[in-house]
Amino acid sequence: MRQTMPVRLGAAEDTLIAQLKSVGADATAERITVAGLPTRRVESYHYTDLKTLLRAIPPLAQAANEASAPALRVPGAYQLMIANGVIQSASTAPAGVIVGKAAGGVLTTRDDVLVHLNGAFAKESLTLTLESSVDPVIQIDRRSEGEAAHVADSLKVFVADGASAVILETFSGSNAAHVGNHATYMALGKNAVVTHITVDLSPRAAAHFASNEYHIGEGAKLRTLVIHAGAGLSRTQLFPRYEGAGAHGDITGLNLVVDGQHADITMDASHAVPHTSSQPLFKSVARGRGKAVVQGKLVVARDAQKTDAKFMHQGLMLSDEAEILSKPELEIYADDVVCGHGSTCGKLDEDSMFYLTSRGIPKEQAETMLVRGFIEELVDPIEDEALAEALHGIVDGWLLGK
Amino acid sequence: MTTPILEIRNLHARIEEREILKGVNLTIPAGQVHAIMGRNGSGKSTLSYVLAGKEDYEITEGEILLNGENILEMDPAERAVAGIFLAFQYPIEIPGVATMTFLKAAMNAQRKARGESELSTPDFMRAVKEAGAQLNIDSDMLKRPLNVGFSGGEKKRAEILQMALLKPALCVLDETDSGLDIDALQVVSKGVNALRDANRSMLVITHYQRLLNHIVPDVVHVFSDGRIVESGDKDLALQLEAKGYADFDATAA
Ligand SMILES: Nc1ncnc2c1ncn2[C@@H]1O[C@H](COP(=O)(O)OP(=O)(O)OP(=O)(O)O)[C@@H](O)[C@H]1O
Ligand SMILES: [Mg+2]
Repeated sequence: MRQTMPVRLGAAEDTLIAQLKSVGADATAERITVAGLPTRRVESYHYTDLKTLLRAIPPLAQAANEASAPALRVPGAYQLMIANGVIQSASTAPAGVIVGKAAGGVLTTRDDVLVHLNGAFAKESLTLTLESSVDPVIQIDRRSEGEAAHVADSLKVFVADGASAVILETFSGSNAAHVGNHATYMALGKNAVVTHITVDLSPRAAAHFASNEYHIGEGAKLRTLVIHAGAGLSRTQLFPRYEGAGAHGDITGLNLVVDGQHADITMDASHAVPHTSSQPLFKSVARGRGKAVVQGKLVVARDAQKTDAKFMHQGLMLSDEAEILSKPELEIYADDVVCGHGSTCGKLDEDSMFYLTSRGIPKEQAETMLVRGFIEELVDPIEDEALAEALHGIVDGWLLGK
Repeated sequence: MTTPILEIRNLHARIEEREILKGVNLTIPAGQVHAIMGRNGSGKSTLSYVLAGKEDYEITEGEILLNGENILEMDPAERAVAGIFLAFQYPIEIPGVATMTFLKAAMNAQRKARGESELSTPDFMRAVKEAGAQLNIDSDMLKRPLNVGFSGGEKKRAEILQMALLKPALCVLDETDSGLDIDALQVVSKGVNALRDANRSMLVITHYQRLLNHIVPDVVHVFSDGRIVESGDKDLALQLEAKGYADFDATAA
């Protein structure tokens, strides 16, 4: 028998183990006891060493009795709220939407600590069945309220064949050192068209974790946009799986970090069948000593011929101390595919700055215009005007240091 | 005597340890148009950048006075507000910034700095439409990102459009004629001439005498190795066209 050295556990791990045992998740508790939180030696956490970054876990969330102001309002949107993991009652759903609840978490098991933890702690999940095309934007407002809390929640969305929808998830709450662990499972039927936007607007003191699993059927089109613009530590994991011919994903994301923030978008995509395509495009803008990470893995199965997938990460450094890290990974088992990856990283273009300022535009405003221009490619495809405007508002707010 | 719009005194400028401007003296009274001609690499664009306040240059000696006020301590935006406009030899393409957004930002930034109120959207649209019509600029072009995908001629016309909207006291035109076809040259020259005004001066940098048939200068200067080596009336341009720069290199040395 091989002896393994037990890892030294920190305060965060001790709390997690106790919390896991308290909800009867002994297997997950055992995993943490043996392995601890992932360090940089774990490949998928190489740039986001949770053992170092996550020092404390607050108590498990209790039902909230008050809610802070909404972090993002989109006029005309249909709103649903989950506060401290508890699904709140909602107004009448728009045509084509069936709202329900199910027990437990939603993610398919995989070898990932955040996925395990969500599965262990999410008590109930909000389910949405979209039977046809839904007009209003559907907003799921996920809150962490009150004293610092460890919040887990989950959402499951079924999109019927031929249906279309725009789904916005916002993450916010009271100003406390919350740890949020959120999960979304989304299945797109044949030819469904979905835009899924997730925006982290948590307070700086919080840690925000989200794992989004997508199953994209034949001819279905998914556009995602992850925006990290809140928590001090954030990581969104994207697991798109292209499961039918013609399935396509425009998987996009944006890290906005300032001094002391760490934001990570990690995609692990699976092209499982022939004739699917994806265009993952991520951008990071970093100020001060901010740190932004984008990891993108494309796995192409043996018989997934004619896969067309290109991963791209573009970074913009607004200071010399900022750090922007990229890790593309291709794992290709088919032989007739077009796959690639690229990344660029630079500062604001000096000639562009001079051009704008030479017209009388003050330096700060010119910077804002150029950063907005850098990001525009991600917001531009969002067709709903009120939503696009709200997203521009977030970017502008970040730029102006709000 | 009234204060000239521009007065450059013994201006020396260097970039990366290399002196490019070596004692420029130039005075442009209000209402006058001066042309600068000179060999490639003689420092004409450098002079225009130094006027507009580009950061890369170190001014080692001399002064630039705009309406009698030294502008060397001002940043580019402040100089623009003070009345300097540079029509770039190579206008910069800026993807992601819509042309109209840029125009409005520039006009309002200048108004704000002067303590004027912001333009209303209808007033702004009207101003752009009028100025654009004069320069044969179609509105589709203005819907694109700033200078992105504009042809060489379109970029130059867009520069003059900005100049018409911003109404500067000093217009510096750096080879605005390069890349223009014969018709566009007429249109642009007409646009520039329309801006000639008793309270506005222009500095027109060009390689070709032809432009000066359209925009007739009051004074022509020959630029060589970082300074003005000869000045004369518009016939000097004809003389240069016929004989080249060789004669003036001698006087410069
Ligand atoms: N960053 C730089 N470092 C060193 N030398 C430079 C730099 N930028 C410009 N120069 C040099 O300065 C000199 C003057 O350049 P400038 O562009 O002002 O010439 P110009 O008269 O406008 O030429 P043209 O007629 O070709 O436009 C050139 O020799 C050029 O190589
Ligand atoms: Mg030049």
